[in-house]
Amino acid sequence: MTAFLDARTLSSATVLEPDIAIIGGGPAGISLALALADTKLNILLLESGAENFDPANQKMYGGSRSGVSYIALDAGRLRFLGGSTNHWGGWCRPLDDIDFEAREWMPHSGWPFPKTALVPYYNGAQALVEAGPWLYDKASASMGAQAPLLPLGEGGVYTSWFQFSKTRDSELPTYFGHRYQDALKRAAKVMPLLHANITGIRLSSDARQVDHLDVATLNSQGGAGKRFTVKPRITVLAAGGMENARLLLVSNDVMKSGIGNQNDLVGRFFADNPTPRDVATLVSFAGPPAPCYGSNVTLENGPILRATFSPTDSFRRAKQVAGSLTTVEQAVELDEAGKAAVITTAIALGVDASNAKAYSLGCGLELLPDPERRLTLSDEKDALGLPRLKLHMRVADEDFRLYHQTLRELGRQLLASGTGMLRINRRQDWSKNMDWGNHHLGTTRMNTDPKQGVVDADGQVHGVANLYVAGSSLFPTYGASNPTLNLVALTLRLADHLKKVTA
Amino acid sequence: MRRRTLLASIVVAGTAVTAGFYRFTDLFVKHYPPTPYDDVLTALVDRGQAVKLGALVRDAPAPEALAAKLRGLLKPNGLAGAARSDIAAGRLVELDGWVVPESVALLSALAAKV
Repeated sequence: MTAFLDARTLSSATVLEPDIAIIGGGPAGISLALALADTKLNILLLESGAENFDPANQKMYGGSRSGVSYIALDAGRLRFLGGSTNHWGGWCRPLDDIDFEAREWMPHSGWPFPKTALVPYYNGAQALVEAGPWLYDKASASMGAQAPLLPLGEGGVYTSWFQFSKTRDSELPTYFGHRYQDALKRAAKVMPLLHANITGIRLSSDARQVDHLDVATLNSQGGAGKRFTVKPRITVLAAGGMENARLLLVSNDVMKSGIGNQNDLVGRFFADNPTPRDVATLVSFAGPPAPCYGSNVTLENGPILRATFSPTDSFRRAKQVAGSLTTVEQAVELDEAGKAAVITTAIALGVDASNAKAYSLGCGLELLPDPERRLTLSDEKDALGLPRLKLHMRVADEDFRLYHQTLRELGRQLLASGTGMLRINRRQDWSKNMDWGNHHLGTTRMNTDPKQGVVDADGQVHGVANLYVAGSSLFPTYGASNPTLNLVALTLRLADHLKKVTA
Repeated sequence: MRRRTLLASIVVAGTAVTAGFYRFTDLFVKHYPPTPYDDVLTALVDRGQAVKLGALVRDAPAPEALAAKLRGLLKPNGLAGAARSDIAAGRLVELDGWVVPESVALLSALAAKV
């Protein structure tokens, strides 16, 4: 086992010539490197940060924001080995079938392939995120055996499940850098290179392929250090949903608008999953619901699960609503109006509500694709002279209106089963308690049509033969599921593709 | 007076006093003045709570119209039946955000108006 190579120890004249250069040592980059480790390919994994957090490296992520309130660009992601899994909560759930479908009522929606194309890679992804055996929506039987689930009446919302990433024993979750550093060191054909910042992806003069990568290190004062070159056969950009777009945009010496940006798509359609708190109040007439609704529950054979209310695919199609995952949060007290609503309704239904308990609900929402929610380059530069990012963030009234319909259906089903009822809180209360998933999605979207997407269905940048992109920046529509499991599956699919094209 | 007669008289008097309090005061149960809609309002077991809920109904029709509509709704299967029909058909209203069956909201609105 060898230690990681430190780019600061290389001389400025260095030229590295791997078969594949992977830019970024986050979940996508590490998954790809490990998936290719048993091939004959020499893999260079270029990580801009160190093994652990370093403020000077992190500062490179700074940028500016406009529009609705959003997390600082250097706070919602982490620039060291393992990337943003280093502050991951470990929430896992596969995307739904409908998330891949083009929907007429949802402009710009649809993946270039159905979910079935990703399914063969989910088991591998599940193993990498260490979320235990694949249960998800098959968990209802075993979880229901522990404590009865809330019986929702027939309708458009059902109890779905998150599984949680965990490492050995009960340590949560899998931080890819820490967890896989030994595996990376053991892999003879993989060379992880730390402190290696890409400052430019340089194309051949005909713009049809990557010629080389410019790489630089930071010196001990946080300024520019050494500069060297990487000349790979194939480059995979796996630097995260924001940095992928940034590196394509700043690499504008041959393609003046930036690589892959001939149709002004790079950086557009940025998305995250809003996670507003206290969106609604759920009253359970019979008292506290099963523990799995409000907290993580570990099954005997290991997996950790938590219940969530999700709209069914058929409801989403019929009612034209986006994805959402609603979770039970903390117990709350009802005011006089709430008590009146519960007592009057329960009596009307002939249900005993004398033990009723109320809980606030939180959620993760899917935003509609929006080309004006976008990343662009600002005039401000980082320590290596690269323009910083500028984010214009938007949430449409329509995004909230669609979720309101799902909540209303949940309320209807609770009444139908006679088990409870729902208060939908005011939109301004949602905004007051708005948080974000730190899921950076959509900025290098996939589409078979170059006019509609930056990369094709294999993740290859349209028109550039040996440049691929990996990660959640590829998601053309986003779903409400947390992206890590899904982006790892997508990356394993890319690994298969790269094995084929290099065979 | 025989002791048995005395005890019986006390029980009768006590019962009469309790019944009087029940009927003519709000000590045991809230009494409402008679209205032309009592045939509908009898569907409410806890009218006081319904009044609070009904106060949240905005732009409710006049009592006569409410009562007429409710008579039609409640006639086949009472309030429980009407509420369940509303739930099945998605006839729901939001009162201060509370998702309730339309019939429950209308009846509560009537209670709040009279």
